[in-house]
Amino acid sequence: MIPPRLPKSALRAAMVMAGAGMLALPHLLGPYWTNLLNDMGIYAILGLSLNIILGHCGLFHMGHAAFYAVGAYTAAILSTRFSVPILWSMPLSGCLAGLFALAVARPIIHLRGDYLLVVTIGIVEIVRIALVNNIFGLTGGSNGLLITEPISIFGYEIFRPAHFYYLIWSMAALTILLFYMLQNSRFGRALNYIKQDDLAAEGSGINTAHYKLAAFVLGAVWAGLIGAVFAAKIETVSPQSFSFSESVLYFAIVILGGAGSIPGVLLGAFLITGLPEIFREWQHYRLFLFGAAMVIMMIFRPQGLIPPGRRHYNVWPYLGSFPRGVASRNREPR
Amino acid sequence: MKKLFFFCLALLMGSLSAQAAEIKIGLMAPLTGAYASEGEDMRRVVEFMAEELNKAGGINGAQIRLVIQDDGSDARTAALAAQRLVTDGVAAVIGTYGSAVTEASQNIYNRNGILQVATGSTAIRLSEKSFKLFFRTCPRDDEQGLVAVNTLLRMGYKDVAILHDNTAYAVGLAEETRDGLLKDGKTNLVFYDALQPNERDYNAILTRLRGTNPEVIFYTGYYPEAGMLLRQMREMGWQIPMLGGDAQNNTDLVKIAGVEAASGFYFVSPPMPDDLDSQSAKNFMKAYQAKYNATPRSIWSVIAGDAFSVIVEALRVTGADAQKMGAYLRDNLKDFDGLTGKISFNAKGDRVGDLYRLYRVDDKGNFVLQPK
Repeated sequence: MIPPRLPKSALRAAMVMAGAGMLALPHLLGPYWTNLLNDMGIYAILGLSLNIILGHCGLFHMGHAAFYAVGAYTAAILSTRFSVPILWSMPLSGCLAGLFALAVARPIIHLRGDYLLVVTIGIVEIVRIALVNNIFGLTGGSNGLLITEPISIFGYEIFRPAHFYYLIWSMAALTILLFYMLQNSRFGRALNYIKQDDLAAEGSGINTAHYKLAAFVLGAVWAGLIGAVFAAKIETVSPQSFSFSESVLYFAIVILGGAGSIPGVLLGAFLITGLPEIFREWQHYRLFLFGAAMVIMMIFRPQGLIPPGRRHYNVWPYLGSFPRGVASRNREPR
Repeated sequence: MKKLFFFCLALLMGSLSAQAAEIKIGLMAPLTGAYASEGEDMRRVVEFMAEELNKAGGINGAQIRLVIQDDGSDARTAALAAQRLVTDGVAAVIGTYGSAVTEASQNIYNRNGILQVATGSTAIRLSEKSFKLFFRTCPRDDEQGLVAVNTLLRMGYKDVAILHDNTAYAVGLAEETRDGLLKDGKTNLVFYDALQPNERDYNAILTRLRGTNPEVIFYTGYYPEAGMLLRQMREMGWQIPMLGGDAQNNTDLVKIAGVEAASGFYFVSPPMPDDLDSQSAKNFMKAYQAKYNATPRSIWSVIAGDAFSVIVEALRVTGADAQKMGAYLRDNLKDFDGLTGKISFNAKGDRVGDLYRLYRVDDKGNFVLQPK
């Protein structure tokens, strides 16, 4: 069943209007709601980066806050010690987070399901405790680090929520575009294959350890990049921001929204960051309401709010030319 | 339709007239998360004091309305809470408890010109940023170091061992104390090192400590480890006095150590709510007890009450202009009679005056305030 297609011009017009609406949003909303949208954007990017590992590749990874922390602390340390403008250190933040992921994931990549989950929980706790203990005298212990350097891009100083809104959401748009392309690439298909059945994938000649590791590193690089943006936005990084419960939130975003689905993860990020704020008026009941909402959603939609659709490939044109046509195309996904 | 219009108009008028006779004060407190019990007490204390004030006629005829926001014991949520309070148009903000959490909100208040009085954030650097509108009614980490030095000197021990646990707070306190003792020159520092927190067995480090023959141990970390140390010192039959910092002001210490091992243990800390000696504090505790049938669990929430009092005092004298309020608190408020003692602020916005007291655990396991 293929849904009826909208005419292309209508689709384009709708996208232009949505884009214009997004651009105008911070001027219509106050700083508080803009700030909330910024948090949503950060969580959306984090969710998307975890989605590569958890949603596409099916690896139960509950330590994503560790990579996020590496990125945020890299940027903060470079800014406080060496006065590197915080957004310039973004590439390095991403690379270090990726290297860290490579180092810690390499020995554990063969673990399955829950076993991997337990080890990744260990990783996030080790990172947090290392930060609290002021490792190498760099991280400032439990009070964390304070970023005093003004934050600017090309001489344009950014400090208002609206400035960050444009920065974060343009990054989110780029992330969505890249990850959408990735999802439909050979790499993306290989990850999906591993998720469905890694034995069969291995049997078909997919180097599963290599692809799993690549998924880990890619997700970590992205978490590191957004970690630097988070550090710039919040202006102070401390170990409490990278606790195990944060990792659980990212996990919940992906599972709740629909593992492997980009619109699902975006919706998940909106709900996970938005609901506690909407329930703010109820003060200390707000987390209770939030938890109840999550339980109800999981009872009625265990596959996630927007699960990824089945992939459709039209095989009719190839039927006549079998095996030649199929064989030549078949080489591509290996 | 017409009815609806008038209804709306009436609502609008109502809200306008209510605004004229009402001053909003924000309270940012950790109602959820790791410090939730502190936040709950902060909310109770400040709500109680606001009610009392409103009953007594408010500030120059204007009623106080508290706007309470949860900071979730976490920097990200605190930034949102601060943004929310700014949007709500509060005249000043009380809070919050954790230092890193306060720090995430500081810039937001500063940029928007809102007076902030922190209540449990003792990290030194918070008041080193020359923010004109930042104050705190709690002491600063380095003050405790001075108190510890004076206490050790007064006790008259010659050979002192200092032990910390590598957390930023404990290292800070240990360094302050070490430097103070070395400057004085009359005492020998025979041991200075860290233990690994969250362990069960400290016999190795205790044996090393014993080898250096100290007369007193000053442990700067938290109560669980202090309790284990006391217990294991007793088990190995080593009896020398031990002194602790304010992170050991928790009755669980006695549970962990056992009453016999804990008795005779000293620690420096701001006074417990029950030990506040001023008449106003005694009256407050009695009224609070009558209303909630409990006392505040720690001193920090009472300090939040003091933050409320100084804000009210500033509002009474200068009106709701943040710059004027800040100038008044910094320059003109001297020896204000707060619940936890006299309150004045120095040029950095830190509270001036000694809040720390010496406590001793008696042989029934109670924390007893020592005379000054």
